[in-house]
Amino acid sequence: MTTTHDSERAEQLTLLRESALSFAAKASPLHRARALRQQTPGFDRQFWAALAEQGWTGLLVSEKMGGYEQGFAEMAEVVAALATQVAPEPVVPVLVFAGRLLAHAVPSDLATRLLTEMAEGRTLPAVAWQEDITGAKDRTDQAATRLERQADALLLNGSKRHVRPGAGADGYIVSATGPGGLALVWVPADTADLTVTSQPLADGSYAAQLDFNNVRLPASHLLAEGPNAVAALTRAYDETLVSTSVELLALVRGMLSMTQDYLRTRVQFGKPIGTFQSLQHRAVDLLLQQELTASIVTQALALLDSPDSDASARSAMASRVKSRASDAGLQVAREAVQLHGAIGVTDEYDLGLYLQRALVLAAWLGNGSQQRRRYADLTQNATEQEHA
Amino acid sequence: MNTTAATTTDWNALDNASFRATVREFFEKHFPGEWRYPQRRLRWSEIGPWYLKLSEKGWVAPSWPTQYGGMGLSPEKLIIFIEEQERWGVARAPDMGITMVGPLLINHGNEAQRAYYLPKIIAGEHIWCQGYSEPNSGSDLASLRTEAVVDGDDFIVNGQKTWTTLAQDATHIFLLVRTDKSAKKQEGISFLLADMTTPGITVRPIRNIAGSEDFCEVFLENVRVPRTSIVGELNKGWTIAKALLGFERIFLGSPKQSQYALARVREAGQRLGLFEDTGFVDRYTKLALDVADLGALYGRFIEQVKRGETLGPDVSMLKLFATETYSRLADLLVDVMGSSGGTPGSTALPGGKTDALTTFYNARPATIYGGSNEVQRNILAASVLKLPS
Ligand SMILES: Cc1cc2nc3c(=O)[nH]c(=O)nc-3n(C[C@H](O)[C@H](O)[C@H](O)COP(=O)(O)OP(=O)(O)OC[C@H]3O[C@@H](n4cnc5c(N)ncnc54)[C@H](O)[C@@H]3O)c2cc1C
Repeated sequence: MTTTHDSERAEQLTLLRESALSFAAKASPLHRARALRQQTPGFDRQFWAALAEQGWTGLLVSEKMGGYEQGFAEMAEVVAALATQVAPEPVVPVLVFAGRLLAHAVPSDLATRLLTEMAEGRTLPAVAWQEDITGAKDRTDQAATRLERQADALLLNGSKRHVRPGAGADGYIVSATGPGGLALVWVPADTADLTVTSQPLADGSYAAQLDFNNVRLPASHLLAEGPNAVAALTRAYDETLVSTSVELLALVRGMLSMTQDYLRTRVQFGKPIGTFQSLQHRAVDLLLQQELTASIVTQALALLDSPDSDASARSAMASRVKSRASDAGLQVAREAVQLHGAIGVTDEYDLGLYLQRALVLAAWLGNGSQQRRRYADLTQNATEQEHA
Repeated sequence: MNTTAATTTDWNALDNASFRATVREFFEKHFPGEWRYPQRRLRWSEIGPWYLKLSEKGWVAPSWPTQYGGMGLSPEKLIIFIEEQERWGVARAPDMGITMVGPLLINHGNEAQRAYYLPKIIAGEHIWCQGYSEPNSGSDLASLRTEAVVDGDDFIVNGQKTWTTLAQDATHIFLLVRTDKSAKKQEGISFLLADMTTPGITVRPIRNIAGSEDFCEVFLENVRVPRTSIVGELNKGWTIAKALLGFERIFLGSPKQSQYALARVREAGQRLGLFEDTGFVDRYTKLALDVADLGALYGRFIEQVKRGETLGPDVSMLKLFATETYSRLADLLVDVMGSSGGTPGSTALPGGKTDALTTFYNARPATIYGGSNEVQRNILAASVLKLPS
């Protein structure tokens, strides 16, 4: 029974992969990604509408809210196809991070409305939770940003960093500490006394710093509070780590495939440089990193999609996969450049698009070392509990 | 005049300490502060004034004999001069004329060439770029195809050079060109000098991943170069180009770049309180020891140069360890920046700014130019380890 179900799903995944890859290749050639760099907001809202038309903005959203209620494995096919083309649209930050956070905050009425609009492709929410310049001190159960309740209003004070998309978001789900513990608050982008400072990233997209200076919001903008808020943010964060790893894996595949082609066709000393055994071995080492990443990504997606996964297992898995994918992304980027020689350091050669995106994604939400620290914290606690 | 006074000084007669003090004082007093430790190649418009200042002082060509306007430094004094430059973070001006064309003409040029070109290099009137690499000839330089055909008193040159550092600022280019297509590949190459304003030469700057235009493509289309611009004999250019690889090779392996990067990592580590963190301390210290030991390896080769010995193929080890240590330092710097690791330019940390990505970008070409690290490993395997090919 399960096997029929599994094979059906596998078939559907293959179909989705094929259609996503062909859509991305046609609608998002690499020169589109190149042209959008450093052009605020760094992506194309019309392209976003085309994603909505495909139904992809609602892929993870429940049917009640106009979505397709698909799993992370399905989402991963779309994410990977777009990452293969280095498409700059903030699919993971919006649809996975903000989308899942809203989903976990339901039954809030506001969350339901925002999710419906997001699924339709009309609203682009972003998550604003980090505060530390390196992210080392950020935790999903804490925030220095303060929330006060005043009669029928909410008052926000503090700053947020590393918010993606850094331009073009319609609003922010902001974490803050209030009377009821951690709170998640919806802050529309045009709210008074909110300052959004966009900062260019290596790949030509943007991250934002948000400054809240006595920002007043209606009480209805409180999406979740207390343990629910912590659970929602932690879960969405973990789901985003895995989905970002899917993107990094697609970049790794892209870079290794460009490098393979180059090794086959670049001739020096009368033969393709791919005949030099030292370079063959280097390429094989990259293949190994690619396949390690792919294996763990597959496991992580299955864990997210399994109905009975537990929160700490999910967190450990998410950090483990992001650690591998971030390091693989950077290693493959460095080596791909080296194996290309001088052309690899030029901006006009497409390898650079992958390299710059890999730099951004390896850093986002915590790089390899930071994820290993989190993994160690999570698993050490688990072992201590087992032994207790 | 200043220049005459300078050129008549016998620098080698000074003891090392006084020479060092003299050089240090001049750099500290006169080198423009804004260009210390630049993290990219500076353009002529930026660093040209410094070149001219050195020229005025008589210091622009430290290694050239005094009769040609150089300082005539012994290897030992030259090393001190370079150490002081590095110590103060003195930026490289476009110095191909000084480091390559001058020595080339002094050793292989004729009297007329020396008389015409050398004073103009000293004066900063001629700025040179190096036209060796081509789109299809990088590591395998001897396969180059840019062609020069004799036509009356001229060569007519056709072809394309690429990765030519700062060609957009150069007034002249030195070229390796093919003059005999039937000979074995190394034997049909000649060395030519050309004025960049000659009709048929087009330069296109190429942007790099750090966003700056450090190198260019140079297109040569029916470029007429007088036959008198050949250096050495026809078809003997390869030998001359090889001979140019003097002891300056050692400076590709200078620990300076790594020491500078290590200081940036240390600074960032302090600003972020990472020296409390044993994981960081271990990684930092491992690299600090790599940098120190690179210094020791470098010192061995420097001693050899000071003793007047020629360097062997083993000097390639320096370039490998220097550039790869630098690359690992860049990785650590990006790593400690965490969530800001994908942000180009300076990031404000408590206590100061850190720019991690520029170091990361700079580390990429360092393992490619000057003979890629793979090619250096081939040299070491064959010539030092004597492994069969
Ligand atoms: C910043 C920068 C500045 C430069 N400035 C100049 C300049 O001013 N003038 C100039 O003439 N040139 C310049 N160059 C060019 C430089 O000399 C070449 O990049 C270099 O020779 C390598 O050639 P390539 O880039 O074509 O790489 P390729 O030779 O195509 O090499 C591609 C890859 O194959 C590897 N490889 C090649 N052959 C072998 C082998 N036999 N065994 C194992 N691996 C091998 C290489 O190491 C590399 O990883 C510059 C390059 C850079 C990056």
